[in-house]
Amino acid sequence: MYRRNGRGRLLLLVFIALSIVVITLDFRQGEGGPLGRAKEISVAVVAPIQRGLTTIFRPVGNFFASVGELGSLRSDNAELKARLEAIEQEVREAEALKNDFAALSRLSELDEPWTSGDFVNAQVIGTSPSNYRWARFIDKGSEDGIRKNMAVVNADGLVGKVISVTRGDALVLLLIDPKAAAGARIENRRDTGKIQGNGEDQGLSLDLIGSNSEVFEADEVVTSGQDGVFPAGIPIGLVDRITGDVRRPDQQIVVEPWVDFTGLDYVRVLLDGPVVAAGERRSR
Amino acid sequence: MSTAAKEPRQPSILADMGLSRISAIAAVIIVASAVQSTILSYATILGVIPQLVLVVVLCLAFTDGSRVGLVCGFFAGLLQDLQLPEGSVIGLYALVYTLVGYAVGQIREFTPAESVWTPVFTVTAATAIVEGSYATLAIMLGQEWVSIGFTAKVIGLVVLYNTLLTPLVFPLVKKVADRFRPERVYRW
Repeated sequence: MYRRNGRGRLLLLVFIALSIVVITLDFRQGEGGPLGRAKEISVAVVAPIQRGLTTIFRPVGNFFASVGELGSLRSDNAELKARLEAIEQEVREAEALKNDFAALSRLSELDEPWTSGDFVNAQVIGTSPSNYRWARFIDKGSEDGIRKNMAVVNADGLVGKVISVTRGDALVLLLIDPKAAAGARIENRRDTGKIQGNGEDQGLSLDLIGSNSEVFEADEVVTSGQDGVFPAGIPIGLVDRITGDVRRPDQQIVVEPWVDFTGLDYVRVLLDGPVVAAGERRSR
Repeated sequence: MSTAAKEPRQPSILADMGLSRISAIAAVIIVASAVQSTILSYATILGVIPQLVLVVVLCLAFTDGSRVGLVCGFFAGLLQDLQLPEGSVIGLYALVYTLVGYAVGQIREFTPAESVWTPVFTVTAATAIVEGSYATLAIMLGQEWVSIGFTAKVIGLVVLYNTLLTPLVFPLVKKVADRFRPERVYRW
């Protein structure tokens, strides 16, 4: 009895030690390293299942279309029932296709200065498993030209940026994640600053660097193009509320994002990087 | 050497389990991870995703004891850690799930074995402890964090959701665990 307990405890100590080694490795390494490799492997294992589940969950195809035709030898009742089921299935599929088509056509009609240049459209296939981080797996990766730090948008505005890439998938950090930030400014005003995520339902917070211009509710916030990641002029959201004095550092500007982060289905990855910022630099 | 000769050596955990069983349990954990990040991320309660992988680990610890519980906890936690975006503490889910897998395996020996409710209540309590300690440790280790109010809401809803999932998940996990159980059963 004593020996058995001792053995379980030894195993426990070994695996606690292993966990702490992993945590330490995570703190000490920068990019890549053994954990980077492990990350790639784990995503490569789970991503195909994610794709499969996403496909089943939004059924597209017509497996059941011919069910009604098999009924000739059966009773009328069974035939009609099967036909009805097939039609219902088709209606469901058509509905799913219609939704996909609407989302895709909105994305393809997107013709704004900030999406000029090369891009890749991708479907969201999975979510970060934690409730405290906001990120999405998409079904395109380095094979399609996606690299780390590329901007991700949809028809409504800024979604986030790519933070890790494998061959066939990429992980997009959403703008609402507490670790996410982007260079931002109020449209048509001089002051620039930084927009930061606060998690779901909390809005984004905007920190302006200079405070020469006044900020009002319902002002438009767009990317400034000065962070080296996001091209300038991508819509982010509207100023929702302002607390505190404009000239005081404790002023808080809460921005309501355009993008519905809970219902993301298709997104566009901009392959060119910050076009406008690079152009400005060249002209100087 | 002499100690090993004195008493019969208990077989290692690998010998206890057998290859087919290890693969079956690994498959269950991987599928649970994929389901958590796809289907369950659409079917949230007020935007909160349940921690299905944790429920599976707790059920395994409950059916198979603390050794299986802690090893499954470590690997399931590590798999979850590796799916997170950078800026999360990698290895923290592994640590917390290891500890809870071991603890639940120890506790189950003192619970009424045949009650349907025991695994459900175990999951309720264990989820609350796991989510609370994960949040505390992540904040202590300097991870960028959301507000405390939001965290409290998430913990409450995850506890509720995990509890609701247990009556569905426990029989499935038990079936897989029993199906691939080797002929000779060691109690530990």
